[in-house]
Amino acid sequence: MKYILMMTGKKSDFEGYAKWSKEDLQANVTFMRAFSKELKDSGVFVSTEGLGWPSEAKLVRAGKNGEPITDGVFPESKEFLAGYWIIDVESAEQAYRVAARASQAPGPGGKPGNMPIEVRPVLSGHADLGL
Amino acid sequence: MKYILLMLGTKAGVQGYHTWPKQEIDAHMAILQRINKDLTASGEFVATQGLADPHEAKVVRGEKNGVPVTDGIFPESKEFLLGYWIVDVASAERAYAIAAQISSAAGPGGRPTNMPIEVRQFVSHERKAQ
Repeated sequence: MKYILMMTGKKSDFEGYAKWSKEDLQANVTFMRAFSKELKDSGVFVSTEGLGWPSEAKLVRAGKNGEPITDGVFPESKEFLAGYWIIDVESAEQAYRVAARASQAPGPGGKPGNMPIEVRPVLSGHADLGL
Repeated sequence: MKYILLMLGTKAGVQGYHTWPKQEIDAHMAILQRINKDLTASGEFVATQGLADPHEAKVVRGEKNGVPVTDGIFPESKEFLLGYWIVDVASAERAYAIAAQISSAAGPGGRPTNMPIEVRQFVSHERKAQ
């Protein structure tokens, strides 16, 4: 079964992250690389992506003639997707264990960040979408 | 440049969708299928994925005694990811145009849903390598 593990944060969280010391950032990146490698080595890895900063985000709605109407203003409380992993595992419990590991990525001072990771099953197959 | 187009909604929005008549859901899906085919034909398609219902969502924060700490209670206002498209396009404007196509897909009564689509850039591999 495939699950998506999502890291999200408010703009203020992203701004906080930008202020981490070089050592703390390096430790976090090193952890994330080792984590991806572990997922690959254990055969559960499907994909991972990091997203650009919320300041580059746009909300798009179709106008009257189908033209894009873009908006870049979001409420302070808005949770932005920061990045995700997709994994293929045997059970939800296994997905939660992987998420718990991601959650413990080191934060400032090298302490586990305990970052919330949202875990969701993804719909299997692309037949619904004509692919 | 790679962009991800995120379709987001609240639990109330998802419940509303489940009340659409079957033929309107089918018509909506047919439009999304056509968009996917067009993107594949133009070489801009990278991936798409739908997510399961928000009631199956959990948040995991670390672990206690070796067991993941999970929580399944979310505020009513929480935006859940419903699905996404990843496209590889020449410009941000092209990504916005595709998002507008998705946003204009027909909903109840055949009217465009005008659903907001969040458009985000991916961190490029050059930036990742720094």
